Amino acid sequence: MHQEAKKKGNFRVVNHSVPRRDGTAKVTGKATYVSDVQLPGMAYAKVLRSPYAHARIASIDTTRAASRPGVFAVLTGNDLMGLDPYYGHAVKDHPLIAIQRVRFAGEPVAAVIAESEGRASEALADIEVEYEELRPALTTEQALAKEAPLLHERQFEAGALRGFEGEVTAGKGTNLCQAHHLRWGDVDAAFAKAHAVVEGEYYFPMVYAYAMEPYVAIADVNESGVTIYSSAQHPFMVRHDLTSVFNLPVNQIRLVVPYVGGGYGSKSYTKIEPLVAACSWKAKRPVKLQLTVDEAMLTTRSDDALTWMRTAVDASGKIIARQARIYMNTGAYAENSPLVCEKATNRCVGPYSIPNVQIDTYSVYTNTVPASSYRGFGCAQVTMAGESQIDELAAKMGKDPYEFRLANTAKRGEEFFPKMRPFDGTLEQDLAIAAKAIGWKSSLPKGHGRSVACSGSDAGAYPLTSAAIRVHADGSASILIGSTELGQGSHTVIPQIAAEELGVPFEKVRVISSDTAITPYDRSTGASRTTTLMGRAVMEASREAIEQMIRMAAEVLKVDAGTIQRVENGVQCGEARLTWSEIISRYYGLPDGEVIGRAYIRKAGDFAKLPVFWETACTAVEVSVDEDTGLIRMEKLATVGDVGLAINPALAEGQDIGAATMGMGVGLFEELVYDGPQLINGSLLSYRVPRFSDMAPEVELHLVQNQDGVGPYGAKGGGEASLNSMPANIANAVYSATGARIRRAPLTPEKVWRALQEQKLKMED
Amino acid sequence: MMPLRRFTIHQPKTVAEAAETLAHYGETGRLYAGGTELLLAMKHGLLRYEHLVDIKTVPDLTKIELKDSYLSIGALTTHREIERSEIVRERIPVLAEMETKVANVRVRVTGTLGGNLCFAEPHSDPANLLLCLGARAKIQGGKGERTVPMDELIVDAYETSLAPDEVLTSVEIPIPDKSQRAAYLKFQFYERPTLGVALLLNLDEGGRNITKARAVVGCISLKPCRSDKAEGLLVGPRDKIEKQLSDAAKILADLADPSDDLQGSAEYKRHLVGVFLGRAFVKALSGSQRS
Repeated sequence: MHQEAKKKGNFRVVNHSVPRRDGTAKVTGKATYVSDVQLPGMAYAKVLRSPYAHARIASIDTTRAASRPGVFAVLTGNDLMGLDPYYGHAVKDHPLIAIQRVRFAGEPVAAVIAESEGRASEALADIEVEYEELRPALTTEQALAKEAPLLHERQFEAGALRGFEGEVTAGKGTNLCQAHHLRWGDVDAAFAKAHAVVEGEYYFPMVYAYAMEPYVAIADVNESGVTIYSSAQHPFMVRHDLTSVFNLPVNQIRLVVPYVGGGYGSKSYTKIEPLVAACSWKAKRPVKLQLTVDEAMLTTRSDDALTWMRTAVDASGKIIARQARIYMNTGAYAENSPLVCEKATNRCVGPYSIPNVQIDTYSVYTNTVPASSYRGFGCAQVTMAGESQIDELAAKMGKDPYEFRLANTAKRGEEFFPKMRPFDGTLEQDLAIAAKAIGWKSSLPKGHGRSVACSGSDAGAYPLTSAAIRVHADGSASILIGSTELGQGSHTVIPQIAAEELGVPFEKVRVISSDTAITPYDRSTGASRTTTLMGRAVMEASREAIEQMIRMAAEVLKVDAGTIQRVENGVQCGEARLTWSEIISRYYGLPDGEVIGRAYIRKAGDFAKLPVFWETACTAVEVSVDEDTGLIRMEKLATVGDVGLAINPALAEGQDIGAATMGMGVGLFEELVYDGPQLINGSLLSYRVPRFSDMAPEVELHLVQNQDGVGPYGAKGGGEASLNSMPANIANAVYSATGARIRRAPLTPEKVWRALQEQKLKMED
Repeated sequence: MMPLRRFTIHQPKTVAEAAETLAHYGETGRLYAGGTELLLAMKHGLLRYEHLVDIKTVPDLTKIELKDSYLSIGALTTHREIERSEIVRERIPVLAEMETKVANVRVRVTGTLGGNLCFAEPHSDPANLLLCLGARAKIQGGKGERTVPMDELIVDAYETSLAPDEVLTSVEIPIPDKSQRAAYLKFQFYERPTLGVALLLNLDEGGRNITKARAVVGCISLKPCRSDKAEGLLVGPRDKIEKQLSDAAKILADLADPSDDLQGSAEYKRHLVGVFLGRAFVKALSGSQRS
């Protein structure tokens, strides 16, 4: 179906900042999250976790715990006969609870199911586990060394591999979880004739995508199947994993996701659902497992990345080559890291037009908390290196970093990445807006520095999405979608599109979402894809419903469908005018009944080429540096989201400032710290997340809306991209303020102070 | 963090009853005021008590009173009440200002001054400043009342000199006189301060000479510390002291003997003592006796 060429300024509901649907319910505490859900006869689980990073479980004695009052059952790895306990998106390497072996400190070893959380908690102390410690491999270096202890000995079954294009490396007798390689042109020749080269090693830390709601799930396993309420981003993917754990057909697994209290990638793919389901299966009753934040921090984190990178320019200042080698510590299980590895590789290039490229990325198993998706999927990790290096090159060439970027970024329509969709953003425009917002050419106070940076990533994930819309006999409508409301605003944006199409008020469109027993299939809510893909599906489903109603009107009016004209909330034929409500009521002969429109999106037509869109954004920062303490303060922040068309501008801007703030956290203070095998800052008391007092006092949020995406009305996704460039941006701004180049995030006060000390020593030499 | 383990709560009507209850349960009981530190540690499984003696049910421990030369602040007064108290703002502005920056507002409306001091968490702003101001702790127990200076109340990290049957009832803080200048500065990047520096200077009439000084460094050490030797270097003409500040800082840093931890390396913390002692010196002298 061709998209209507409605232009900005002509929309009735779309492109307006209507207030978010869930706002009042959320701020008044009335919104339902999984933790609010109670099932009749529900029990509560608590988990005993391994104190060791790597050990064999010699024995587990649960007799005392199981006989405590109020305890229904205790689940261990010895109780899983009858289930397929291994799951995983890329490879099925992850047991739902430790089986004979633990691979990270914090891994679930036993779960107590009891009448209350308190009872379950108290019983944990009565479980006796004997461990035989094994030598751990905690860093990528240790894990890749000769004689390194092997984390996984068995050959894995492949997982669902959705969106994953490479060959799975895991399970081949080494600790290499995934390798991915990208090359075009001839990097060696290009570096040999380069006018200038910069080369360096950069580090993006392990971080925790802090969401206010920790992981929570309720499972009810009985003879009619498995029902799970979960805080999962992608209910359909979790359903897939559970069909294999329980060997049940798809229609006997039901995932229900109410509001989710933030995800940022950390709630993508399967997390605690198999464990909770096994608890319910064993205890023969519904079971709730609510993790604490500290436990959530032992469940998933981001991959860190140590990136060696070099970039070359010719005498005119054109980038001619980039080479990178990246090592990512992916923890004890693959989770989604093979895909992160692949995406990080791709995202080393964009959004620059570089004729010679060689990128080699390695994800490595270690005895630490498993890493998985983190907002931006590898892009933030490698953009720390890429965008730092752009500024370093500019400095080396004596060029203005903003102008150096302008000269090298991919141009609209350019196929800068072989075989991928041509670039669909306008970085010249985006960068110019960012530079103007930050006052690029104006003078800076002493101790202040500024930077403008950008990122462009192959986003949108895989285009497989379906939607249905039911137009009711009173003219109201219900949309059925598998997209999850994570706080990003999908449940406001999607009905805006349906209301626009049907010509009905926004208030008349309701959203029913994320219940795999009811809502049509959607691959995921991630990679900034919902507005583009689900938005397009709902737009097309609405149009399909309208086509049906036009045919019904023709029958009711006894005219040829071709003579019927569409008007705002219905049709017109000569003098006769019918609303949707009148068409449906007259068609059925009762003021009841409905019309169901539906749409399927697949990798075809507008979506034949990947990525679905290039997610493009710029950020600009001004910082001040206290040279005595090394403390950085954000003075100004500007974001520019290149979003095609903002269905809801206020929500799009909210996504941008949220992402930029998250990126600022990594730039300034976020890092999970291990002391040997133990995570030592695994709580919000010691893990520092951004606060309002960290925000820049001056913030400008801009959107570029050229209607150049494949989403509805030319929309593209946003919401991740403003994170990606922030750590490098802060490092570049500190360089601009002090002349000290810091290549490891976060730039904590002590790190900055040390860099300044070194800088002074160098100046004295 | 886990759900709190079960415990029994006791709600005494008088300080004497609270003291008796505490003495009765010994190691298995603990006094419970605001609970902002205690309950957190219990939820993390770091501390376990079967009995909590809720001192909040005892009346009259939240008074802020002006006595002759000092302010008496009841042990159950919250940080927020101190921060907003007119008397404190007027008489000891440095204390009100310090309190505005303790933790966050949710902690300040719940956490009490007495609880903060008795928990003796090393990263305590009030303990640093009160030691500097020469405050005294008023204690009531089975054997009657006693009053001790701050450095005799807090003896180590998480450790006070209170006997099992003793309760801190109030803190008496001398009101700085016209010739005195005070400042409190901290460096805070994480949840708790990395460093706190408190300074109290007595000036001569012309304001050019410092006749007496008290300097306290805390948070980087197990308990707040001060040194006669360092304070000696802070007495004399201002320009001479400015040159001696780094020596004084070194003495205080040696005494504090910081270690490497998540808040930073020992070397960095020692460096910060110099930076903040210098800044506190400037700040103290730039204000009136009231700031």
